[in-house]
Amino acid sequence: MNTATGSGYLESLLREQPALPASPLAWLNRLRANAVERVGALTVPSARDEDWRFTDISPLTKMPFQPVTRAAKLEAAAIERFTLPEAGARLAFVDGVFAPELSYNRTAVTVANLATGAGRHAALLEPHLGRHAGFADNVFAALNTAFLHDGALIVVPRDVAVAGPLHLLFIATQPEAASYPRCLVAAQAGSAVTVIEDFVALQEAAYFTNAVSEIVLSDNASVSHVRVQRDSGAAFHIANCAVSLAHASRYRSVSVALGGRISRYNLNVLQAAEGAQCAIDGLALITGRQLADSHTCIDHAWPNGVSRQLHKCIVDGSAHAVFNGKILVRPGAQRTDSSQSSRNLLLTGKARVDTKPQLEIFADDVKCAHGATVGQLDAEEVFYLRSRGLSDAAARNLLTYAFGAEIIDRIPVASLKQRLESIVLAQTNH
Amino acid sequence: MSTVLQNLVNQPYQHGFVTDIESDVAPKGLGEDTIRLISAKKKEPGWLLEFRLKAFRQWLTMQEPAWPNVHYPKIDFQAISYYSAPRAKKKLASIDEVDPELLRTFEKLGVPMNERASLAGVAVDVIFDSVSVATTYKAKLAEVGIIFCSISEAVHEHPELVRRYLGTVVPAGDNYYAALNSAVFTDGSFCFIPKGVKCPMDLSTYFRINTQESGQFERTLIVAEQGASVSYLEGCTAPKFDTNQLHAAVVELVALDNADIKYSTVQNWYAGDENGVGGIYNFVTKRGLCKGVNSRISWTQVETGSAITWKYPSCILRGENSVGEFYSVALTNHHQQADTGTKMVHIGRNTRSTIVSKGISAGQSSNSYRGLVRIAPTAAGARNYSKCDSMLIGERCSANTFPYIQVGNQSAQVEHEASTSKIGEDQLFYFAQRGIGAEEAVSMIINGFCKDVFQQLPMEFAVEATKLLGLKLEGSVG
Repeated sequence: MNTATGSGYLESLLREQPALPASPLAWLNRLRANAVERVGALTVPSARDEDWRFTDISPLTKMPFQPVTRAAKLEAAAIERFTLPEAGARLAFVDGVFAPELSYNRTAVTVANLATGAGRHAALLEPHLGRHAGFADNVFAALNTAFLHDGALIVVPRDVAVAGPLHLLFIATQPEAASYPRCLVAAQAGSAVTVIEDFVALQEAAYFTNAVSEIVLSDNASVSHVRVQRDSGAAFHIANCAVSLAHASRYRSVSVALGGRISRYNLNVLQAAEGAQCAIDGLALITGRQLADSHTCIDHAWPNGVSRQLHKCIVDGSAHAVFNGKILVRPGAQRTDSSQSSRNLLLTGKARVDTKPQLEIFADDVKCAHGATVGQLDAEEVFYLRSRGLSDAAARNLLTYAFGAEIIDRIPVASLKQRLESIVLAQTNH
Repeated sequence: MSTVLQNLVNQPYQHGFVTDIESDVAPKGLGEDTIRLISAKKKEPGWLLEFRLKAFRQWLTMQEPAWPNVHYPKIDFQAISYYSAPRAKKKLASIDEVDPELLRTFEKLGVPMNERASLAGVAVDVIFDSVSVATTYKAKLAEVGIIFCSISEAVHEHPELVRRYLGTVVPAGDNYYAALNSAVFTDGSFCFIPKGVKCPMDLSTYFRINTQESGQFERTLIVAEQGASVSYLEGCTAPKFDTNQLHAAVVELVALDNADIKYSTVQNWYAGDENGVGGIYNFVTKRGLCKGVNSRISWTQVETGSAITWKYPSCILRGENSVGEFYSVALTNHHQQADTGTKMVHIGRNTRSTIVSKGISAGQSSNSYRGLVRIAPTAAGARNYSKCDSMLIGERCSANTFPYIQVGNQSAQVEHEASTSKIGEDQLFYFAQRGIGAEEAVSMIINGFCKDVFQQLPMEFAVEATKLLGLKLEGSVG
């Protein structure tokens, strides 16, 4: 794609931006203005950019997307199948617009939309909102920031452990809608919380979701982050998530990508102090002509950090999975202990995988290992199951399911786990 | 880190002498005139001049690659002399006629070019700056039909062979440095193993850059016909200069049905001093084409020199059941930068490849493994196994791994693993306890670390490589 059409497209995406109401927070208005300026300076990435080499997003630029100003009124019944009984709170956004009638909060902590919660937490917002998910060279994060006026805000005070998971539900209802979901999670010292980001669709429409999340953990905090992307098969989903870990904090995440025609998830975890730990797992289960791209970066900037990563892709039809996992160990980050594994299963002759586990190490006293495998089901495993009386198809389905279930099993929310397991089971049933 | 380790890395470069030989140097600068001059000096046929000019025109439209993980000031391609030959007084008939000064140089380097060569059983083609000086054992090889000579000689004596294969594996416009090489290459080795012949001895080329501000652009072409096999060794050194010299070589290997080519390199170009001043920029394109069924190409490299190494010996596995192998040890010290690895492109069915890469970084150096394993949709049953290990010595160096794995066939099996380790105090303590000093301990640990690769080297080279690593790391532990 040439630059001219690229920037023209970005301009068209920004058309409604000036109509956004000004925020009472002066710094937020400045942040938005900066983001608009960056969008102007950047172009839509193409295969020439190393970060987008395998993901051709030009189909996105062939469609006009505009943000929805007024949300459709949804009945509670419409989202019944997405509700989670254990959730202590839910924030629902319909096509990117906050829907208070579908939201509740039974916990004692702040789970609110940004516009409501901003007043109470103004002092906390300024140092964090838009500070972790940099947009200087990321056009999609810049676009999201340009449209930043509402979103989800979760603040867990010091030493509080939230009992139920907090459910952030993003519902897409309309074709050609652009939504810019935004989340800020601040887990203060010693707190613990489980946050679920759940992207769902009510119909098979082509829409564009461009999400940015920032998750900040203070000393000794613990956050479990579940991300489920089950967008429509025609949708475009691009998301950036930045996580910052303070001293001895623990971050675990499980992200599952099932939907989207083209989906891209960038997860950047910064270990910003000593002794931080993170475990990030991912599963992409795609078919047809879907493309699922996951780029992760774990930045070990301080000593004694630990990271674990397992990313799996199950690729059916003529789908295409992309994984790029970078582990960065900065100078001085001694005694870092990191391991990463990328495992990929190709189910058809037309499926394709591009994987790149990547190590950049600038310290000598570290333990870093990574591995990657690509292949089909193990013939001996299939044979074993057949010797136990399973048909060839049943044996293959069971093994494929088990391959994906390893990741789903790590989701700490029983009802969601169950639902995803049945989705995986249905999708791996040929 | 202990001081023994620190000191072990700081061994002076031993091949850093300049030989005072009159040489015939072309004026600096690059243009079509320069290329015509090179071509004229070498009395080349028209098609080769055309090949060069076409490559040059393509080069003009290309951009210097910016993706490698190496940093250096922009190269002024006009400040390089593209032709430098030891001034030949007459055409040399035998090795005894070679300038004695030159022979002494090779003696210092330990190149077995005279009778010792027969004991060693190695046929050597020596490239001094850009021109091939002598080829030993030519007659003996000719008996079995093997052609082993400099490429300029081959252009005159076997033009049809050179023309048939030159540029078929690395096309003129393949990349920036390959295009430059195609335009200005001055000499190199040519080796042709006819059908069914197993080469009776290891073939060897020795490269040396002698002139300051000259670039060396050699071109190697090895063709193994059906059922032929050859083991080829390459060694390199250069004198110390405080300016950087450019080395942009191209190596092409072609293996037809059931042929087997083994290519081993011990690269010890001058790496610059401990402050990173001077040294060779080694920007090399090496690629082998497994064209026939059951063919096999194996690359083994020990990279210890050069200020910057940018090199990815690759295999295009086109023939069914063909095999590609890459075994590498890359050692960087002081301010050296290496971005090296391999590409295995699986096209044919049941093709197999193995990658074993060992990176050792010390001092303030940067060592990157960059590899590509691509399984084309046609490569049913393809298999790849990659293993990349890094060892860091000291806390100011870096080790990076960039493995690209692209799989487009379901029946392929691809495995990649990488690890990073260091020489721990506890390991050194264990050795000390057994009465083994730190230096020796480090050398033993490094040798153990690199064993998988050294085992692939021909014996003489394995000994040399082991010694070389020991020398390079001397004084870096303690």
